Parts: sequence; C-alpha cells; structure tokens
Amino acid sequence: MRFLRNLITFTGKELMELCRSGRLLIFVIVFVALGVMNPATAKLTPWLLETMADSLEASGVSVNGYTVTAMDSWTQFFKNMPSIGLLFTVVMSGGFFTSEYSRGTLIPLLAKGLSRNAVTAAKTFTLLLVWSAGYWLSYGITYAYTDFYWDNSTVKNYAFAAFALWLFGVTLLCCVVFFSSFANSAVQVLSGVGVVYIVMSLLGMVGTISDYLPSYLMQSGELLTGQASPEDYFTAVWIAAGASAVLLAAQIPIVAKRRV
Amino acid sequence: MGNILDITGLCKRFGSKQVLNGVTLSVPESCVFGFVGRNGAGKTTTMKSIIGLLKPDDGEITICGERVTYGGARTSRFTGYLPDVPEFYGYMTAREYLSMCGKIAEMKPSEIKTRSDELLELVGLSGEKHRIKGYSRGMKQRLGIAQALINRPKLLICDEPTSALDPVGRREILDILKDAGKQTSVFFSTHILSDVERICDRVAFLEGGKVALCGDIEEIRRKRSDTAVEVLPENPADAALLIERFPAGELCDGCFVLKNASGIDAEELMRFILEKRISIIRFERREPDLENMFMEVVGE
Repeated sequence: MRFLRNLITFTGKELMELCRSGRLLIFVIVFVALGVMNPATAKLTPWLLETMADSLEASGVSVNGYTVTAMDSWTQFFKNMPSIGLLFTVVMSGGFFTSEYSRGTLIPLLAKGLSRNAVTAAKTFTLLLVWSAGYWLSYGITYAYTDFYWDNSTVKNYAFAAFALWLFGVTLLCCVVFFSSFANSAVQVLSGVGVVYIVMSLLGMVGTISDYLPSYLMQSGELLTGQASPEDYFTAVWIAAGASAVLLAAQIPIVAKRRV
Repeated sequence: MGNILDITGLCKRFGSKQVLNGVTLSVPESCVFGFVGRNGAGKTTTMKSIIGLLKPDDGEITICGERVTYGGARTSRFTGYLPDVPEFYGYMTAREYLSMCGKIAEMKPSEIKTRSDELLELVGLSGEKHRIKGYSRGMKQRLGIAQALINRPKLLICDEPTSALDPVGRREILDILKDAGKQTSVFFSTHILSDVERICDRVAFLEGGKVALCGDIEEIRRKRSDTAVEVLPENPADAALLIERFPAGELCDGCFVLKNASGIDAEELMRFILEKRISIIRFERREPDLENMFMEVVGE
C-alpha cells in the first residue's frame, strides 16, 4: 500500500514537472505539428510537383496526372513518426531519470522512505504516457484530416500498423528506462539505446531473423498496401512486448543497489 | 535516558579504500551532537548508512531500538535528513515541496498543512511565495531543515549544514538547529569547530575510520591536560624571576607560559606574583579549545 501511495505522490510530482518545465507544451506542439504535417504534405504534393515539373522534365521525369490518395497521407505518418516523433521522445527522455540521481534531488525523499521502485514506476508511467498521448494525438489528427480530404477506407490495416509502431516506441523507451538504471548521464543512456538500435538494424539484415525483431515493427507501413498482413507481425509484437517487460524487470535489482 | 541512535562497529569500504573501520558511538535523547572530522573522513558515509541509503559492510545501527536496514523504510519515521548541498525541484514552492515530503512520510493532509505552517515559520520562509529556483543557498538550507523536520523525527541528521554558507547564513542555521534541538536530538557533521562549541552538548571526532574521541564537551575539556597559564609581566625582566621559581615554564614573546598547569599550579603562580609584587599586564588561564583537541586527535 505504501508503494502505491508513493507511486501516486511521485507521479503527481512528475506531471507537475512536465507542465511547469514547459516540456508538455513542446511535446504537444511537436506531435500536433506531426499530425498536421502528414495530410498537409500529401495535399501539397501535386502543387510541389507542378512547381518542379520543368526541372523534373528536364531530367527526364514526367509528372503528369499524379493523384493524391489517403495512402500518401498515411505513408507520411509511418515515415515521419519514427524519424521525428519517436526520435524526439527518446532524445528528450535521455536525462529524465539520470538527472534525479546526478543532481541529488532524490536523496531527501529516499531518506523519508520513498521506494526506489515507486520512483522508477512513476517515471516510466509518465514517459509512456507522454509517448502514447503524443502518438495517438498525432494519429487522430492524421486520421481526421485524411478522412476529410480523402477516404481512409481505401487504406488497409492502418490502425494495426499504427499500434505496431507505437509498441516499437514503447520497447525503445523501456530501453531508456533500463539504461537509466545504471548510466550517469543522458549521453550514456542515449548511447546505450543507439547501440541497441544499431544491433537490431544489423541483425535485421540477416535473413529470417528480421521478422522476429522489435525493429520489424518499424516497417509496419507495408501493411497499408496489403503487401503484408497483421499475422506477419504477430511474432515481432510478442517479442517487443516481452522484451519491454524483461527490460523493466531487469532494472529493478540494479536500481536497488545504485548508490545515491 | 535511552539512546536515540546506537552505532556499533560500522565498517564500509569503497574499492580499496577503507572509509569506516569500526565506528562506534551513541546519541542520547535531547542532545545536539557534533560529528567532527576532516574532509573525506567518512562523515557522509556514516550519515548515509544511518538513514539506510548505504549498505554497511559490517556493524549495526539502531534508531530508537530498531535496527536500520538498507533502504531504511522502517526507521525513516524516526529520522529527518538534511544533505550537505540539498537539491530541490526548482519549479515547486516551499509549501508544495513540504506537502510532497509529508505525503511520502505518510502524514495526514491536515497534519501536513499545520506542520508546514509551523516549520516555514521556524525557518523564516513563511512569507516566501516564489518557486524554489529563485532561492539563495541559505534559503535552500533552511528549507532543507524544514523538510527534514516535517515528520517530527526523533533524530535530525544534518550533513555539514553550515559549510557552504556566509557568516549570517551560518548563524541563522545554527540558531534554527539549536531551537530544533529542544524537541529532537540533532546529529550534525561539520569541520567548523566553532559551530560545535556554540551549539553542541556532545562531540565525536572521526579519524582514520574510527571515532577517536567522543563524549560530553565539558567533560572532555575537563579531562584534557593541556590547560596552560599565561602571564605577561609589565617589566620583561620579571619573567626571569618566574622562570627561576617555575622551571617547567617557558618564555614566549615576553610572555611566561606554564603548560599543563593544574588549578593548584595557577594558584601558586598567582601567590608568587603577589609576594614578589610583580606588576603584570595579563594573567590568563587558557582553556583547551576544540581546535587544539582536534589537531591532537588527527595528529597534526
């Protein structure tokens, strides 16, 4: 029960920090902009092609008769979300845990009996809440605009594809939580996550292994055209969920022994 | 009167460095206890072990009879801790911070409110409406004491609370600690000996990972044999008379100094001065101060 009360108190502190530090506003701006950008880019594509038509024709590319569909908008979503939205969230969360240790802000609270697990749980919850809220807000905006201008029903599996990409983000953020349990700075945490990502990308080049890696979920855009079906992603989904749980469990004993 | 804190044979090693090597001491109830040692002597390590933030390699710590375990959740209700440089969340106000501390210490909302009012008054921050990020170091230290006292601890542990402060800030903190000492035992570490002399009842010197000297300040003073009597004669030639009569004495800048002088020695010296009608400018019985004791303990 004490753990639960500690968790609620510390989560309250995290949410207050998010609002008062101005980070919430930055997240909202970034994710709203991302949501608007996807249909906007699709909508502007014909105009862009038209203005560039002369130079493109000079290089032998004909751009006549290009029709924009809902697919273009969703393709933008699956291109922008990992490269901007997820990257931004991971970078912003690099010092989320380590700053508490390096600045010593936890010491007076731990001396009052605050549970270390409650600290990690509250911070992890806040981190995943920000990612999820930002992600689905962006998704909602893209969905609404795309449906308004075109027709979402022409695109296949976009909801499941979005879920898969979101889950990959969760796994990467669990990596942040894990590395934060022993790293001393944001740079160390981000380096750790970077190494994990590079290793996954390298392994992804090896034949069939790629289908079982969490990073496979980043290619969920292929679901939109029907080239792949959700079943193809089930293994990677379970592995990503399992890896997230293992990472969260593995940091508990490390945090317990961490010197403050 | 029982002890609030008992430390027995506390040992802690970091890598190849043996920081604590059998620290043993007790803090009785209603006492302001000075914990003196040079930088790196292991004061902070001892304090962090008391509040359960560090796991000792050996030894036992009990607070109010309950054994401290790593994590310190059980014994945290008896203690309040002020770190050497307390860091807070700059976006909170002092009241918000105290409220969070109260919740963590499992206090009732109404109790948190009244206790916060009391403490902010005590530390002189009751009129402060700004967020903590604008606070000076002294104000942070005062808020640090308030947060440490929020749960009415039986033992207030302060790690070098005055080291980083200017003379005014130091005086304020010492006055607050003295006040706090009326309701709770205070265990505070320092290397500023005048602070100890000013507010402490008891003192322990930490040296070489052990407590080299511990006890009641007045008692320690009485036990020490380094009381000296100094006489400054008006006529320097008279100093020779004194040396003749008291060969153990020595001359120092025209001043006659009789080291390790007992009360009887001082009396005899005074009688001799009267007998010989030696005119003097100064007759002083020097008390051993903590600084001398400390230097003696650390062997310098």
